[in-house]
Order: sequence, then C-alpha cells, then structure tokens
Amino acid sequence: MSEVVTTGHRASLWARWTSKSPIVVTFFALILGLLVGAIIIITTTPAVLDAWRAMFHSWGAPGHALKVTFDNVGAAYRTMFTGSVINPSSFGHSLTTGKGWSNTFTPISETLTYAAPLLIASIGVGIAFQTGIFNIGANGQAVLGGIAGAVVGSMLHMPTVLHLPLTLLAGIAGGMLAGSVPGLLKAFTGAHEVIVTIMWNYVMYAFLLFVVLSTPFQQPGQQNDISRTMDPSAQLAPLFGTSSGLRVNYGIFVAIAVVAFAWWFLERSSLGFDFRVTGANPSAAKASGINSRVVLILVFLVSGGLAGLAGIVQAASTTHFIDGGFLIGNAGIGFTAITVALLGRNKPIGIVWASLLFAALGVGGRAMQASTGIPLDLAAVIQSAIVLFVATPVLVKELFRLRAAPTSSLQLAAKGWGS
Amino acid sequence: MTLLSTAKEPALTPAPNRRTRFIAITMGIIGLFSVLVFGLGSVAGAHSSLTFNPVNLSSSAPWHVGTLTLATRWTNIGLGIVMVALGVEVFIRRPSRGVMARFGGVAIMFLIALLLWAGRTPGPSQVSFVNVTAILIGSSAVTMVLVFGSLSGVMCERSGVVNIAIEGQFIGGAFIGSMIASTTHSFVYAAVGGAVIGGLLGLLLAFLALRYQSDQIIVGVVLVTMIGSLSSYLNLQVFTPFPQFNTGNLAPNLAIPLLSKIPIVGPVFFNQSGFFYLMLVLVGVISFALFKTRYGLHVRAVGEHPQAAATVGINVVRVRYINVVLGGAIAGIGGVAFMASQGQFQPGYTSGLGYIALAAMIFGRWRPSGAVVASVIFGLSVYLSYILVSYQVPVSIYILQMIPYFITIAVVAGLIGRVRPPAADGLPYRHD
Repeated sequence: MSEVVTTGHRASLWARWTSKSPIVVTFFALILGLLVGAIIIITTTPAVLDAWRAMFHSWGAPGHALKVTFDNVGAAYRTMFTGSVINPSSFGHSLTTGKGWSNTFTPISETLTYAAPLLIASIGVGIAFQTGIFNIGANGQAVLGGIAGAVVGSMLHMPTVLHLPLTLLAGIAGGMLAGSVPGLLKAFTGAHEVIVTIMWNYVMYAFLLFVVLSTPFQQPGQQNDISRTMDPSAQLAPLFGTSSGLRVNYGIFVAIAVVAFAWWFLERSSLGFDFRVTGANPSAAKASGINSRVVLILVFLVSGGLAGLAGIVQAASTTHFIDGGFLIGNAGIGFTAITVALLGRNKPIGIVWASLLFAALGVGGRAMQASTGIPLDLAAVIQSAIVLFVATPVLVKELFRLRAAPTSSLQLAAKGWGS
Repeated sequence: MTLLSTAKEPALTPAPNRRTRFIAITMGIIGLFSVLVFGLGSVAGAHSSLTFNPVNLSSSAPWHVGTLTLATRWTNIGLGIVMVALGVEVFIRRPSRGVMARFGGVAIMFLIALLLWAGRTPGPSQVSFVNVTAILIGSSAVTMVLVFGSLSGVMCERSGVVNIAIEGQFIGGAFIGSMIASTTHSFVYAAVGGAVIGGLLGLLLAFLALRYQSDQIIVGVVLVTMIGSLSSYLNLQVFTPFPQFNTGNLAPNLAIPLLSKIPIVGPVFFNQSGFFYLMLVLVGVISFALFKTRYGLHVRAVGEHPQAAATVGINVVRVRYINVVLGGAIAGIGGVAFMASQGQFQPGYTSGLGYIALAAMIFGRWRPSGAVVASVIFGLSVYLSYILVSYQVPVSIYILQMIPYFITIAVVAGLIGRVRPPAADGLPYRHD
C-alpha cells in the first residue's frame, strides 16, 4: 500500500474519517442505502409525484415540491426511527409525568424481540461464510427448526425446566436436519450449495404447509394452516412479565449465549480454526490435513442448527404457534440473516451491531407502513442496497474519496458449479 | 494436529465410474418403483385412456385423433422394465457418452407411467382420460420460461460470469411487463421493457462483478433479494392503488397457418404466443453464435481462460459486459413471457423458477440445446405437480409441489454424470 493516510497537519479528523476502516465504509454504505430508499420513496409516492408535476403549472411550485418531498421522506424515516428506537415526545412525556414507560419502551423492546432470532440465524450464516460456504438455506432451516420446536413445545407436556431446553434443542435438531441435506450433497457429490439450499427452502415451505394442515399438529378445530399453540412452559417468557406489555423476552439471552459460543468457537476452538482455514485457503487446509468433506458437513450442521434455533426462538417468543406464512418470503429472517452476516463481515461482534441495525430497520419499517402507508418492503430494499454497497467497498471508497482501498473480508473464494 | 486430521484425503468428486454406477442404480430403482407402484399398484383390469385433441381446438381442428386405450398395469410394467434395462445397460457398459440422455429418457418414461397410473379408470380419479396434447401445451409455458432463463445462464457463464440473479431478472421482467402490457396492450413493448430491465440488472451485476470484482454469487443473491422486496414494495405502492397497471393480460396465440393444423405437433409448437417462437429463434441464434461464429469463439475463450484470451487481443471485460447484459435481457424477456402466460403480477410468483433454470443450464452442460432438453423435463415436472391434484392422487398437494425442487436438487447433485463448467466460471478477472 503506497498511499500514506496521514500527511502533516492534515492528519486530522478528516484523514481518519476517510481512512480505510471497514466501519467507515459501512457507515457510508448505510447512508447510500438510505439515499436509495429515499429515491424510491420519491419516485413512487403519488403525493410527491403530484407536487413535482405541479411544477410545470406554477412558479411557486418547485419550493412546494421540495417541501412535499422532504416531508414525505422525512416522515418515513422519522417513523422508522421512532418506531424502532425511541419516540422523543413519548420519552419526554414519561420523564415529566412518570407514566407511560411501557409505551416509551415498546419500540426498543420490539427491536430487541426481532433482533434475537435474527442475530442467532446471522451468526450461523456468518460461520458458514467464514468457511467459504454460502448458506442461502437459513430460512428453510429456520422453518424446519420452528416446526420441530413447535411440535415438541405443543405436543409434549412437562415442567419448564425440561420443556424449554428440549424445545430449543428440537429447533436446533430440525435446523441441523435441514442443513445436513446440502452439506452431505456438497461433500459427496460436489453439488453447489447455493442452488441446493434455495431449492431446499421451497421444499421446506411446502413441508410447512403440509404439517400445519395435518391432523396431529394442526390446531384442533381449525381448518386453517395454523399449528397447535405451544405450552407456556415451552415459551420464551417476556422479561418484564406479560402484564408489562413489552414483548422483549429471554430470547435475547439465548442470542447472547450464541454470540459467546460463536466467538469461542471461531477464535478459540480447534474445530473453528479448521473452519476458518478452510474458508481462507482451501488448498492450505487440505495440505495441513484438514478433511474438507467433514468440515463441509459440520459447517452445515452448525449453521443449520443455529438457523433452526433462530426459527424456534422466533416462534417461542412471539406468536407461540406457527402458521403457513411462518418466515415465508423475503421478510424471512433466514434471508435477512444473509445480509446481516455480510454487513457484519461475518464476525460475531459485527453481526451483533448489524442485526440490531437491520432489526431496527425491519421494526421501523412496520411502524412506517402503519403511519405513512409506505410498504414495509422498503426496509428490505434498503437492507439489500446497504449490503450491495458493503460488498463493493471499492465503489464506496471511490464515491466518498476514501484514501486507501479498504480491505475486504467479503471476497470469498468464488468457485464455479463443478465442485 | 487438528481435530479433523486424516492421513488420506479422499477426492471430493467421486470417480466417473462410481458416479455412472450410481446413476445406473438410480435408474433401476426408478424402474422398479414404476413396476411395483404404477404397474402392480393398479388393478389388473384397469385401463388408461390417452386423448390427443386439444381442449380449445377440438371444434375447429380439421383432424381428430382417436383415444388410445392402454392396459395400465401391463403398460407400466413394460415401461418399468425398459427403465430397469436401461439402468442395467448403463451399469454394465458404462458408456462414456449418452448417460444423461438415457437418464432423461427414464425420467420421461417415469412421468408417463405416473400419468397413466393417475388417470387409470377404475381408480380414484374423476378424470377418466389423460389429454396428452393439453399437458404438452400446459407444460410448454413453464418450459419456455425455463429456456429463457437457462439461455441467459448459458450466455453469462460461457463468458465466465455466474448470473445467479436470473430469478431477479424474471421478477423485474414480469413486473415491468405487466405494467407495460396493461397500459399499452402491446406485448412487443412489454418484451422490450422486460429486456431493458433485465439488461440493466445484468449491467449492474456486471458492473459490480467486473469493475469492482465483488463476489458474483453474493451480488447475485443480494440482487434477487433486492428485486424481490422492491417488487412487493411496488406492488403495494403502485399496483394496489392503481389496478389498471396490472390487469393481467395473457399473450394471444399466434397460429401459424397450415403448420398449426398438424395433429398434436401443431397445437403444441405452432399455435403458441410470440414469446414461444422468440424462444425457439433465440435457441438457434445463440447456438449458432456460440459455436459457429468468431464472437462465440471469443466468448468461450474468455470463459475458459481469460488470460490466454487477453494475450491474443480479446477484450475480456468487454466480452463479459456484453454477454451479461444480453443474458440479463433474455432473462428479462423470460420474465415477461412468464407474466404473459400466468396473468397479473404477484410478488414471489416466480417461486424459484430462475434457480431451476440455472439447474437446467447445468443439466444441459452449458449448451443451448441441452438446456432445452433439460427445460422440457423440468417444465413437465413443474406442470405435473400442478395438475396431479385433479387426478386425486393419494398424496398431499404440498408433497407433490416438492417434486420439481427435488428433481432440481438431484440434477445439481450431479446425478446426471460429470459436468464441467467453463473453467473460469465465477472467477474474478483482473486486467494487469
């Protein structure tokens, strides 16, 4: 790297600001992502378009059009923030009157509720990425985990001490089962995991509809695609009791445990070392005697198990049942987890921040849809845009005149289809 | 030293012999299954009727093909025995070529046996006949979309870029196609719009992958997520308040005079929408361009060995740009074709066809003609998973829906013999 970042008196905040740090790139990518979202809002909201059209009719209109534009975009992003972090006016009200705290904390509680399963799934995807594996099937694995966990949680009955751990373990087992298919296929036939996992997702969706409409698991007396409700002993209880109205629950402790596990696993365990070596340099891994086939299968078991855990945490902490729409579509946590892992550069701590950010975007998107009518899917568009920018750090660097080429950890060893 | 050390590292891909044997055994198992379930599973007196007159043409068709009645049990046992025999032949002779073709034949015979069994007359089904022509027409719509997608894959991957965003280009094409067709009532404009959207998405992929050397698969997958969410956003934001933009036009059939009057073949091949003919033309043009022209030679050189291609003066990056943009445009038209055969746009209604198209491309060994054969098999299996419900097969509709995805997985898992992608497929190229 011939370029020197700091020279003389300009070794200032600006120099540091425009350095090669991945955090800076991520920050600018976030801004670009929000900009893309704003452009989409502007070009698709009838009120804004009408205001701009009026510009052709009267002289005062450009100012008005700008105002309408800023009002709409501002309202969207403002409700996104107040709906996911905190609403200042409600906070002020609580401070002065001492009442309404539950209302004040609802947004942040919702964000944490949503972040917990997302974080767990993203850690799983991130571990796979670190091993050079694209686990695009996290959503299907989460679905099977959710099914397995919900079956144990609703059809077996026992005290909480046993029931909750067993439910979570069933979720992990379900995810591992779903993950083992692409893992085994890749290990023994060389089938590319991207197509296999995506196809497997669709198989899992069909299986979900099959089980929630089949007699033992379907809610008795129901004709719809809805499962039995999990016993209270299998649910992840709200932290502050059901009466508080806050949904934030013990799932976040599960997520924290998973992060700690992931950090230990990747940084301290010898198996995790094998994983990372395989991801960083497959031929070096082979030369040092790592059995790549075993690594492949284990990666999918770990990654799938975590996705399954995410699925059951999601079901056990929010709805307490699963239905035919569980995690389906682009909103599924398994898909968001891919973008979260990429944004967090596959490192546990990075993924924590990334999942909080994307959970906030998702929850805020719902608030935005409720109050401004702008569809929630915008949040997913912004998320993917952010990740596209993060995945091309050189582009961000050029756009913002950052100094040195940021080192990218997203550059995986790209391989063709053969094996 | 490490937990997973082993003294000997087994090869990741098994030897071709083992794989051929595996395929042979699979063929045998499929054959036995057909004998046991479809053959012996139907009562001795059961018969299946095959009809050939298209539903919508029957009154005006100048021909009438009689009903073919077959004894279900014996036909299926016969088909099963042929399948087993093919498996045995492959197992013993291990032919170096044509294993894939034989497996394709077994797959088609299996589907025929399945249909005969489903439509047998003393059976659970209310439908007492199997209309072959109608099934071929119905599945040709899915097949057509898959061919567009796999041609797009061939274009991109022959030049060394993995276009995993085909699904996204389908969605984009279907969205814009519905919008244009609803407002202008012209499918030509819709196709152009779809090509532009698909081409732009291809350009974005190429830009990120070639200029910035981003990982092609990451960019592709994220693009699909982005287009998927953007389309459901726009669906709510534009199509819900303004339903006149998404009225769901079906492309009219353009009957080719004379040829469309040929029994069976006519309605299937010569009474189709313009997209179908365009697809046929594209297959020919791309085959010719790839294998018979100078440009095609350049493309294949770039996909196999970009450094060598650059040494002889081929502009690697330009060739890749052109091919990815053209491939994206083809997939975009495929999206319009899908919309024109399924009706109004709904978010997520391509349900993974873009990835199945990629699998068809792999099955077809990165050749347009192979992609067509593969797409026919995939198209049939997708379509049968829709219609088997009406035959009251004693299997849940949701289990039937899994069939195409299972077949895709089986194909990608290399059931079909060793496939060799272009050597530089998916690898970033840095011009030094």
